[in-house]
Amino acid sequence: MGTGGTTQADDLADIVGQSLRMPMPIRLRATAMVAGLSLALVPLLAPLTGGPGAGLPPALAQQSQGLKVLRISAIPDQKPEKLNRLYPLVAQELSQQLGVTVKYVPMVDYPAAVSAFRTGDLDLVWFGGLTGVQARLQKSGAKVVAQRDIDASFNSIFIASTRSGLQPFRQQKGLTSLKGRRFTFGSESSTSGRLMPQYFLTQAGVKLSDFADGAPGFSGSHDATIALVSSGAYDAGVVNEQVWLSSLKDGKANPTKVIALWKSPGYQDYHWIAQPNLDQRFGKGFSSRLTKAILAWRPSDPKQKQILELFGAQKFVPASASSYGRIEQVGRQIGKIR
Amino acid sequence: MSTAPLSQPYPLALLRPAAPLLPLLPALVLLPVLALLPGLVHGGGWDLIGRFALAALTPSLDPVVIQAALAGLAITLGMALLGWIASLALGVVLGLASSRVVWQVCGGCRWPAGMIRRLLALPRSIHELLWGLLLLQLVGLQPVVAVLAIAIPYGALVARVLADLLDGLDSRRLEALRSAGAPAPAALLTALGPPLLPGLLSYGGYRLECALRSATLLGVFGLGGLGTDLKLTLQSLEFRELWTGLWLLLAVMLTLETLLGWLRRRWLMPRRLDLRRGGVGGRGREMLLLLLALPPLALLVGRALGVDPQALLHGQPLPGLDSADWAGVWALPWLQLVAGTLLLTLLAAALAVGLAPLQLLLAGPGRWGQGVLRFSWALGRLWPPPLTALLLLFLLQPGVITAALALGFHNLGILGRLLLESSEDVGPAVEEALSCAGSGPRLALLYGRLSPMARPYLAYGAYRADVMLRETVVVGLVGAAGLGSQLLESLSAFAWDQVLALVAVYALLTLAGEELSDRLRRSLLAGH
Repeated sequence: MGTGGTTQADDLADIVGQSLRMPMPIRLRATAMVAGLSLALVPLLAPLTGGPGAGLPPALAQQSQGLKVLRISAIPDQKPEKLNRLYPLVAQELSQQLGVTVKYVPMVDYPAAVSAFRTGDLDLVWFGGLTGVQARLQKSGAKVVAQRDIDASFNSIFIASTRSGLQPFRQQKGLTSLKGRRFTFGSESSTSGRLMPQYFLTQAGVKLSDFADGAPGFSGSHDATIALVSSGAYDAGVVNEQVWLSSLKDGKANPTKVIALWKSPGYQDYHWIAQPNLDQRFGKGFSSRLTKAILAWRPSDPKQKQILELFGAQKFVPASASSYGRIEQVGRQIGKIR
Repeated sequence: MSTAPLSQPYPLALLRPAAPLLPLLPALVLLPVLALLPGLVHGGGWDLIGRFALAALTPSLDPVVIQAALAGLAITLGMALLGWIASLALGVVLGLASSRVVWQVCGGCRWPAGMIRRLLALPRSIHELLWGLLLLQLVGLQPVVAVLAIAIPYGALVARVLADLLDGLDSRRLEALRSAGAPAPAALLTALGPPLLPGLLSYGGYRLECALRSATLLGVFGLGGLGTDLKLTLQSLEFRELWTGLWLLLAVMLTLETLLGWLRRRWLMPRRLDLRRGGVGGRGREMLLLLLALPPLALLVGRALGVDPQALLHGQPLPGLDSADWAGVWALPWLQLVAGTLLLTLLAAALAVGLAPLQLLLAGPGRWGQGVLRFSWALGRLWPPPLTALLLLFLLQPGVITAALALGFHNLGILGRLLLESSEDVGPAVEEALSCAGSGPRLALLYGRLSPMARPYLAYGAYRADVMLRETVVVGLVGAAGLGSQLLESLSAFAWDQVLALVAVYALLTLAGEELSDRLRRSLLAGH
């Protein structure tokens, strides 16, 4: 390879630009430089427009500020606007409670959050059941900090567009009515939007290849699932109960367009997970102070009330790794944990 | 040599009945695709597509949204610029190291050049997205990851092109200088430097356009910048905010393309009879100044982005390789995956290569038609294929055809621009002659403009098909689309054994494809 023919063809792309057109007036000569430089300088606007660490590559910005910054994050299970409202509040509150700088680092997908936790770019992450187990298996010594009161028995809701003609049902066997329909999960790594629903579907005798087109879709998040099912792009989908209820409440889910079909049995879901080395970095006893701080959030405090409302919970409760055994087992069954 | 294929008129081509139809041939793929398409439409999301199209006219003008988009755009541009500068530096060094002429003159033997060339095939064969995702695992979420992900494959590409250019140059001047006793480095620089410059400059500029597209794409997969915003806004169906970002990106892309084109013309196509020009060395000074401006510029942008090369030193091994399940890797449906990937590549390539001339013909020579065409092709170049794929899923069932449409649309934008601009280079003479002789405007376009460049265009199409094979990985989101889909699935299961095997198969496939498209290209260019 790599002979004249190759280069000729590669060069074709460039001939484009070399074509002779009207020559430039001479006074434009200096402008060439100015234009080239100024275009190249546009990236410098970054700190002006966004502040340091705006956009995504931010995990780094924190590192350069020293390791005394607690970097928190979360799996992107809902609309970015909501996450961007919630987690800066959490960062503010934790910072006040613990006396350290706390920074929220947004993530674009579930596996990215797990990876960033493994590489040590995130200190405290709000994981789902499955991603939490994945994170702990990849980072030995990672600590389960806390879960919400609703996470010990969390539910998924199967939903359908009203246009699909699907009707609500009470028995798990009713899931068979989804065979041959266009169906979407949330993220591939979501516990309430994929893992457990797939488990319940399998129990009811519905295989993934039974859906229309021979495979389910993956919308990416719970909000996206609701929007896609409402629009009719998918006949049915599955979301977590807390997002479903809050979407009904704030009008994002329109009952004339999308309805609930069935509520799944309960399982363990979301939890905070922390790096094993927080005590070394922030001082002895920091991990337990962190746990206590989160467990102390109460609706009586106006700011904490706002946070708890956005989390859809009354309070956080202690959690332990052992309660996620079932999630790990199901994860292994469907090949998401190895 | 760089202008030879298109600017030479081929008088014989008019006598060959096949020549004008040649570039239209791949468009035959439209027949099966159009036949299958109705079966794929589920039509559930017309509502969403309507909202998406409407939002193009009413993008969000909320200052917060615009500011966020600008900040994202700045990061994307910065990543592109840094990756590009690094790839040029890397490419020049490696290109010299893999040039036969350089080895011959400096070391007296040629074989190390061939060795280095083969080694460089590997980094080149892996798509920048794969580099990004792998580096992300090795060094964590650092801005330097995106820069390196662009710099590695691009550097290897630049090296290959540079070495090819060097070895293809006339060596008589070099021999003359050497036999007159000039030392090797000086002789090389003096004899080969000036003739090398045009090819290198124009290829370098073209890589910057590619780097902008790559940086946007890397963002779609979570490496930061505007791409990340685009993906998130699309996923949450905030179409008006999505269009704010898309319009800004379009403006930057077109500005960059225009500016680069202008610089190329200015530096490489001096007007011969322009006596007012500032004498010898004027352009050289500009080039030198710009070249000198690049390193400090890179430093500045690097600081602004927080790029820290030291982060590369704190690498971590991939997890879970010790417990690798190679039997499980072997059990993957490899044949099906590879077949799916190849089918996807062929479909997308045929669509892109065939549609560009067909659309040009249908639009005709009129101003309006061409304007619409230019715009739709610009959108094709602009939209990262995974976004197009996600949009298509609102209407179509997932699968190879949907993925091919997304990939084809993007490459159609790139090929279309090439076709349009090189068709302008052919010159109006033949077309006007045909028109005067009474042929219709479209027929004149076909015979007068398209047919002289049929073969070089197809040869470039073969090269592009090779690029598309590498790119199939980015439309894996659409499902059932070969190795790319399996790769995303394996990534989200953190199955590193599978990921490494998939990357290796990808590399092998691309290398084989490269060899094949090289041959096809050579025969196309030699065939006339």
